[in-house]
Amino acid sequence: MASDGNDPDETLLSGVGRGDPTAVRTLLDRRLPRILALARRMLNDAGEAEDVAQETFLRAWKQARSWTPGQARFDTWLHRVALNLCYDRLRRRREVVTSEPPEQVDPGPAPDAGLFRADLSKRVEAALAALPPRQREAIVLCHHQGLGNIEAAQLMEISVEALESLLGRGRRALKASLADLQGAGG
Amino acid sequence: MMALERFEDLAEVYGGEIARWPEGEREAARALLAANPERLSPVLAGAAQLDRLLDLAPAQSVDAALLGRLIAAAPQARNAARRWIAGLGAALGLSAAALAGVAVGVLAGRPAPVETPVAVAAEPFVTAVDTSADLQDAIAEPAEL
Repeated sequence: MASDGNDPDETLLSGVGRGDPTAVRTLLDRRLPRILALARRMLNDAGEAEDVAQETFLRAWKQARSWTPGQARFDTWLHRVALNLCYDRLRRRREVVTSEPPEQVDPGPAPDAGLFRADLSKRVEAALAALPPRQREAIVLCHHQGLGNIEAAQLMEISVEALESLLGRGRRALKASLADLQGAGG
Repeated sequence: MMALERFEDLAEVYGGEIARWPEGEREAARALLAANPERLSPVLAGAAQLDRLLDLAPAQSVDAALLGRLIAAAPQARNAARRWIAGLGAALGLSAAALAGVAVGVLAGRPAPVETPVAVAAEPFVTAVDTSADLQDAIAEPAEL
């Protein structure tokens, strides 16, 4: 996955490798919120999202001195590392055998009963969490992270057609599960 | 010319903003929309409704403690600490050497070689002061958050 030579983080990363504190702070300001949001939406758990974001950047610090420009965009590399860490955790969750039934998504009150924004937010988060992980990943990468279809497909190591199929199925499932909220998004 | 069905598929897959559709298809999509506003505007509006709901999926604000841990773990913080420790080690080592020189001079019953050891010891002392400022920076930075 070669970068196009216009990686906006390349100079900052080189500064991080040299131990420039301003570069560290600027890179974190620019990329940490994105990676934290990605992990949160993939895992639906604030604590785990923070752990994933921390581990991702600790790995980035180790890479900073030996980073080879032109091989991959740093943002793409960060996404790949964070997604791998998310999938490790999702796998571990599946391996935990529990006698309790999975938590049901609370349908909540109907929109005409007056949903607060926080309630809407919880409903959407729960609906997203209920999607199969690859559909969720496709939606989070394209919609929330704002990646282009080619970059998202490369990151997921699938074709653009396969990405579109995941996006289509995911969005149709969300539309069905959030049908009662259509029009309530503001 | 884009087919109407392709336009509908793209809205379902990428949402209600043509600007977020694949770059190579945007121009044709806009042309098709301009030619068929009655049929295609509702398609975009329907997809945009789901987009707005998706925007409500919570992100997460960055915790100051997390930011502090990452800044402290960055190469800069570790290097500053290492430089300070190295500077301190050098200062202590050369001071010990200077004291040993004095002791040897006294035991040998002749005046201690005052000039040279003091001059040598003074140099690393300056280094230790400089590098301790680095360490203070490294320690202070997370606390500034």
